[in-house]
This record gives sequence, C-alpha cells and structure tokens, in this order.
Amino acid sequence: MPLLELKNVDYSYPSGDDDYIQALYSVSLAVERGEFVALVGCNGSGKSTLARLANGLITPDRGFVTVDGMSTDKKENLYDIRKKIGVVFQNPDNQMVTTVVEDDVAFGPENLGLPPAEIRERVDWALDCVGMREYAKSGPFRLSGGQKQRVAIAGVLAIKPELMILDEATGMLDPEGRAEVMKVVTDLNRREHMAVVMITHFMEEAATADRIIILDRGHVVADGGRELFERPEVFERAGLMLPLPVRLAGALKKNGFDLGCPLTVEQFVAETKRALTERKTDGGGGSR
Amino acid sequence: MIDVRNLSYVYSPKTPFMSQALFGIDLEIRDGDFFGIIGSTGAGKSTLVSHFNALIRVQKKSGTVIVDDIDLAAKKVDLNRLRATVGMVFQYPEHQLFDDTVEKDVRFGPKNLGLSVEEQKERAKNALELVGLNYSEFAERSPFELSGGQKRRVALAGVLAMQPKILVLDEPTAGLDPKGKREIMDLVMRARSMCPTVVMISHNMDEIATYCNRIAVLGKGRVVGVFTPRELFSNRELLENGAVSLPLVTEIAARLHEEGIDIDPALLTEEELVDAILAAAGRRGGDA
Repeated sequence: MPLLELKNVDYSYPSGDDDYIQALYSVSLAVERGEFVALVGCNGSGKSTLARLANGLITPDRGFVTVDGMSTDKKENLYDIRKKIGVVFQNPDNQMVTTVVEDDVAFGPENLGLPPAEIRERVDWALDCVGMREYAKSGPFRLSGGQKQRVAIAGVLAIKPELMILDEATGMLDPEGRAEVMKVVTDLNRREHMAVVMITHFMEEAATADRIIILDRGHVVADGGRELFERPEVFERAGLMLPLPVRLAGALKKNGFDLGCPLTVEQFVAETKRALTERKTDGGGGSR
Repeated sequence: MIDVRNLSYVYSPKTPFMSQALFGIDLEIRDGDFFGIIGSTGAGKSTLVSHFNALIRVQKKSGTVIVDDIDLAAKKVDLNRLRATVGMVFQYPEHQLFDDTVEKDVRFGPKNLGLSVEEQKERAKNALELVGLNYSEFAERSPFELSGGQKRRVALAGVLAMQPKILVLDEPTAGLDPKGKREIMDLVMRARSMCPTVVMISHNMDEIATYCNRIAVLGKGRVVGVFTPRELFSNRELLENGAVSLPLVTEIAARLHEEGIDIDPALLTEEELVDAILAAAGRRGGDA
C-alpha cells in the first residue's frame, strides 16, 4: 500500500462570487515509503494545492487521497494522517505558534502525548538537525526569515513523520541555509528512510531527487526518474528552466561538443574534463 | 547618492533584549550604481537598508546617513521628500497590498504626497504600464484576485508611482519561479530609466553576478568589503570562510580551472562559460 496516494483528484478554489478556479485536473500519483521525490512546476501549477490535499487540510472535489490507506475525507483519520505526513509551508510566519523557539518545536510532540523526556530529546535533535540549537530559548519573532523556516522544519521533524512535504521551504533561505536544509533532508531520507516530497523552483535541487513529477496548470505532465532531464522539451513546455549543467551541456552540444546529460556540477566537471582529454587524443589523429 | 558614515544600530536598547545589529558601517552608494548587499542571515542587511527611507531612524551618536542632501540623522526629516526620493520594496511586497482596486492601491503613495487626483491617476497609469500591466485591463480589478507574480508587480508599481530616484529592493525575487524571477529583474532594469540607482539585497548569487556593478558584503553587522562582481567571486578569503558563495556558473568555471583546464575561474555568465569551454576544446585540438 503506498504511503500517499492520489487518484483522479480534481480540486477547485472559490474565486469571487459563484466563480471557481480549477487547480488540479484528474491528478493520480503515489509516493512509496522512503522515496525522494521532487515536485516541480511554475507558480500556479497546483503544487501547493497538492501539498494541502496530502495532509487533509483540504479534500478533493472528485477522486480520493489516502495516506497509508486512510482517506483524508474522514475527520477521524486526520490525527493519524498528520502523524505520518508533515508539511513545511512557504511562509514560516504562519507556522509559528509560541513565543519561544523550543516550545514551538515541542508543540507537535506534545500533541502526540509523548513523555517529557522524549519530547526534550526530540526537540534537541530536531534543532540540531537544522542548526538552530543555540536559538532554543529565543523568541521566534526576533529571528530572520531563514532562521524561522529552519525552526518550522524542526517542528515538523520533531513529529518524526514518515513523509515530509517541503512546500518551497528553502525558497527564503540563503544559499548556505539552503544547502544545510538539503543536507538534513537528504540525510533523513537516506538514514531514517523518511520519504520526502520536495516542492521546489530550484531545478538544481530537483536534480538530486530520485524521481521528478512535473505539474503544468493542474495536470501531471511527467513523472519519472532523472532520465527525464534528457528530454528538455518536457520542462520547457511546462515553463521550467533546466538545471544549469543540463543547459550548459545543451549549448555545448549545439556547438558539436557532446557531454551527454550531466545533472550535477560534479558530473558536468568530470564529463567536460573527460571530453577535453579525449578530444586532445583524437586531435592527434586529425579526426576533425 | 547614499552616504553612510560610522552607522551603528542597537535593537531594544537598555533592555534585557538589547542586541546590536550594526557596528560602524561606512558605505557610499553612488548615483547610477546597481549596488548589491549580501551576507548571511542576521548580518544586518535589512536593518541597514531600513535606514535609507527612515523606517528605522538613526540613533543618537550612532553615525549619519545622507540621502542626496537629506540628513537622516537630523532631528527633523522631511519624510515626504525622502519617500519621493527612496522607493523601498520589501520582501514579499504583495503582502502589503490593501486596497480594493489595483488603481487605488497604486495611487495611494502619490495621494499621500498631496498630488491632484489627475496627477495621481497619471502616475498610477505610468507605473502600471512600466511593470507590464495594461492599465485599462487591471485598474479596476481587485489586487487579491491576481496571481502571485501579478500581485508583486502591482506592489512594485505602487513604489514606482512615487517616482523615486533610488530603488531599494529586499530580496525582490524570493519565492518566484525562474520565469517570474527573470520577469521581475527585467522590470527592475526597465525601471532604471526612472530610478537609475538601485540597491538590492539578495541571497541569489546568480542575480548579484548578473546585475550588480558593486557589492557590499556584510557580516555580523560590519562591512567586510565592497567589491566588483569579478573581485568578489575570485576573493579566496571570502569564499573560504563562507561569507560568499559562488554563482553556479563561476563554481563550475573554478572547478574546471582547478582540474587544470585553461579557463578563467571568475567567469560570471553562461555564455562566457560555454565560449570558454569551446575555446579550450578548440585550442587543444589545434595544439595537437
């Protein structure tokens, strides 16, 4: 049974009087335990709607959403669903509930009714994960946007969900903060087998996921492994930019310098070096 | 021109929550500069620029800030004049939209300047056209029904309607998808016909490298240095101590250079990098 499953989901938002804007059209997808999925698409493609559907904040107009077999449209399931799926949203200001950082992180585990010693342990661990331990006693409202977002992530981590959905949660962080959060999330995925759905605009981040789902104006237009990046037209049609290494390789290929499809900086550097060395050897044979 | 001399700032002075955000800042932003301000979270970037339109007042015996000929450390500051000189666009400016039509929202600033209704409307119209929103199409719409990118344009139009000479932007593209980022930056470049001087806080090193001619690096409330993009991204010390991270293009160029490939390690744009790799390929073929 998939951890999260959406089947033929339609969803519309009310807009003004008697008017609706459809955000999702017959969306079907499943996320299994331990997966690392990047969900990409332009603003307005329906990504955030999908995050809200996943933990039952909203329920579909048609079709169904289940978490570990439990339907999100039954109120009695929501408590268990939210133990399994944690969502970190875009704007940390809307996610702070207390006046002290560590209380905020403790809010989730407290609601789970855990013993105080375990709450303490989880709070410290979660704050360590996001590098905010030294701010444990600070007021969240005195923190910068990036720091607040790290606290929000810690708050979700402290629940130890089986799936964490990050809804552009790194969008406000500086590059260093972003790298830290990416490392935390990647480690949680690898070591603790926490499934991750990362909703992101940073295609370089998306390229580190095992699986990429592309949303375009409410439709799933692609769902596959990293080999998707070899089909630039899919991304372009959805209004997305390719990761820089893929863009560079594309421009070089047009000029007769073929590197294949490097996704990361490391791969790009290695492939370029190899190709240049080969060319040097070839050049001796007068191959051009 | 913005002239900052020996500026310090303390939050909540004489209370247990006292914390010093700025320590003796010296900076000179010249007319026509596209001036970048970078630094990790908590470096004091927002505190510094909030002085530029007197949202934060210069504290006693804490240095001076002079904008054109307006002395912000003076007892009385002509705020109307200052705010017609410095236009400030905060993070997520769309959160500050408040009026029921786009046109009223944009003309709120000019109205407060005491301009005639006709002049207000004229300015609103020009500002909306400048941000690429058709006046007759958008004027009477509610700003709250627009897409995220459109809302941000309306917010920017509200600032441009003041016809400032200096535009101050705090993370103007945060939270937008790559296309949205490009659009906002294109629009800022277009706005320079009116306000040639731009000050931009950004964590996005690609944007800093692409748009800024001079960049101040702040660290823990102090100016670490002011650099051109090339100086900045080839400064080993700053890169090694983590004060600056490389734009992805520069990172690739630097790694190729380290691998012994004949490429300038301080390249800033994709085009430069593609050309340099092709040149390296061509030259090697030719040498052999």
